[in-house]
Amino acid sequence: MSEEIAIRVRGLVTRFGRQTVHDGLELDVRRGEILGVVGPSGCGKSVLLREIVGLDQPTEGEISFPYHAAHGIEPRVGVMFQDGALFSNLTVLENVAAPLREHAHDISRELRDEIAALKLAMAGLDGSAHHKKPAQISGGMRKRAAVARALALDPELLFLDEPTAGLDPISAENFDRMTQDLARSLGLTVFLVTHDLDTLYAICDRVAVLYGGKVAAIGTIPEITAKAEGWVKEYFSGPRGRAAHAGARAGG
Amino acid sequence: MAAAAAFDFREDDRAPVLALSGDWTVDTIAVREAEVRALAERLKPGAVVDVSALGRFDVAGAYLIDRTFRESPAGDTARIAIRGQHVNAMKLLETARKAYGGALTTPDHPRGFTGFMEQVGRVMAAIGDEIIDTVGFFGETLVVLGRQIIEPRRLRWTSLVNVMESAGFNALPIVMLLSFFIGLVVAYLGARILGDFGASVFTVELVAFSMMREFGVVITAVLLAGRTNSAFTAEIGAMKMRQEIDAMRVMRIDPMDALVAPRVIAMLVMTPILTFMATMAGIFGGMLVCWSALGVSPAMFFARILEVVPSQHFWVGMSKAPAFALVLAVIACKQGLSVGGDVGSLGKRVTTSVVQAIFMIILLDALFALWFLEMDW
Repeated sequence: MSEEIAIRVRGLVTRFGRQTVHDGLELDVRRGEILGVVGPSGCGKSVLLREIVGLDQPTEGEISFPYHAAHGIEPRVGVMFQDGALFSNLTVLENVAAPLREHAHDISRELRDEIAALKLAMAGLDGSAHHKKPAQISGGMRKRAAVARALALDPELLFLDEPTAGLDPISAENFDRMTQDLARSLGLTVFLVTHDLDTLYAICDRVAVLYGGKVAAIGTIPEITAKAEGWVKEYFSGPRGRAAHAGARAGG
Repeated sequence: MAAAAAFDFREDDRAPVLALSGDWTVDTIAVREAEVRALAERLKPGAVVDVSALGRFDVAGAYLIDRTFRESPAGDTARIAIRGQHVNAMKLLETARKAYGGALTTPDHPRGFTGFMEQVGRVMAAIGDEIIDTVGFFGETLVVLGRQIIEPRRLRWTSLVNVMESAGFNALPIVMLLSFFIGLVVAYLGARILGDFGASVFTVELVAFSMMREFGVVITAVLLAGRTNSAFTAEIGAMKMRQEIDAMRVMRIDPMDALVAPRVIAMLVMTPILTFMATMAGIFGGMLVCWSALGVSPAMFFARILEVVPSQHFWVGMSKAPAFALVLAVIACKQGLSVGGDVGSLGKRVTTSVVQAIFMIILLDALFALWFLEMDW
C-alpha cells in the first residue's frame, strides 16, 4: 500500500430538497487499500458511492482521482451493486463478457469468453453456472457473478455496495476472503460500503465512519475505537461490535 | 497513454525466451492474440518470460500468456519461469493459473430439423397449458367473486375505488375522444357513399346502429385492453417480482381477494359506463357531420333515431360490455401473477396480456354478432 491518493473528496455537499445528506464531507482513499465505509442507515453511504462513480451529481464539492490524474489516465471503475444488477436476459457468462464486448471489441469472441470465465473462476464460480440466467442461481452466486462482471475490465477502483448483505456467515466469510485475495493479487483499490462488522474487522485496511453528513472518524479500527465517542463508540462497542472484534482476534 | 503490446521471441541454444514489452492489458492484447497463440508450439519446457521491459499488465494479459504456455507441448502443467522485475506480473500469472477452470463448455441448444420440431412442440404445449391455466384462473376468479358477494366484508373498497378511478374514470377522455372521431368518420363515409345512392338520410341510422351495436363497446374494450391490461399486468407482475405477493400469502391475505377481485369488479362497473359514454360521443360526432354536411338539425337527428332505431340495439351493445370487462381483467391479472423472477418475463407477460385481450375481444365480438343475429335481436 502506498500513500498515493486514489480518490479524493473535498467539501462534498449533497441535498435532496431540504434534506442535507452530506455536509462538507472530506475523504481520501489511498491507492491499493480496502476502505470500509460504515454509518447508520440513511447517512448517505450509497449516495457517496454513486457520486464517486459518477451516477449522481453532488450539489457542491469536488471528487477527483489524483493518482490517475497525475499519470494522465482515466481511472477504470468496477461497481458491484447491492443486488448484483446482473442483466437478467443474459447468461452469467454473457453478463461478464458484456463489458469486454463493449470496451475491448477487438478481442476475439473465444478469448473474450475465456477471460470472462477466468474472472468468474476468480470470483469462485465454475463452469456449471456459465450458461444459467441470473434468475436461476442463488443470491450468493449472483453476488459473485456481479463481482466478476465488475472486474471484467480489470478496473483499478472496485466499489462494492453491501457485498455480504443477505449471505449466510460461511458464504459471507468466503466472500470476504475472495475480496481480499482479489484486491491483493490485482492491486485493487476497494471502496466497500457495508454494515457487516465482521467484514470490517476481517479485510478492511481502514474504516471511514459517516455520521451527520461528514466523515466522523477514519483510520484502522484500533485507531478509531481508541478515541471513539457518540455514535461511533456505540457502533464498535455494542454487543455485535464486540463479538466481531473477538471473532477477528480469535481468527487471527 | 497505453503503449502497444509487443514481444520478441528468441530461441537460444538453451531455453526459448519470450520478452514482453509495452502494455499487455485488456485494451491492447487483441492485436497480438493470434501471433502469441502461434508461438505455443515452439515454447519448449524451460521457456522463460522476460518481463523486464513490460509496461502495464492485467489479468487479461496474464491469461493470454498463461494460455500460450498451457497450449505448449508441456500442457496444462507447463511452468512459467519469469526473468526480470515487474510490479505485478508474477502475481497475476499465478492468479491466472490458479483460477483457470478448464475449457469452456458450450450451451446445448437444440439444432437442426429435430431441434426445430422440438421447439414447435414446446410452443404448442405451452399454448395448451396457457389455455388450461387461463380457463382455470377464470373459474377461480368467479369463485372468489361469488365468495365476495356472499361475504361483502371481504371486499376491499379502497382498492376498488382506486382502480375504478385510475383504470376507468381516467380513461374517459381518451375513450370518448376516439369514439367521437370514429363517429365522425362513419357519418362522413355514410354521407358520401349513401349520398351516391340518394339515400344520404340513412346516415343517421348508420351512425346510430354502428355506434350502439359495435363501435362504442369494441373501441372501449380495445382501448382498455391496451391501457388497463398493460397497467394491471405490470403492477401485479412487479409485485410478484419483488415478492410482495409472497408477503401477502404468508400474511394469509389471498391475492385473489386483494388484487384480482377489486380489479375485476372495478372493470365490471366501469366498462359499461365507459361504453355508454363512448357510444354517446360517437353519436355526437355523427350528428355534427349530419348537421354540417347534410343539413340535418340536431333535433331532427335525434327525432329520427327515436323513430327508426329500436332501443334493443343499444342494449345489445351494452350487454357485451360486462363480458369484455371480465375477460380483460381476468387475462390481465392472470398474466400478472404468472410473471417469474426476471425482467424478461415481465415484458413477455405484459405483451401476452395485451395481445390475448385484443384477440379475445375480437373473437368474442364475432361470436356475439353471430348469436345476436341468429336470435334476431
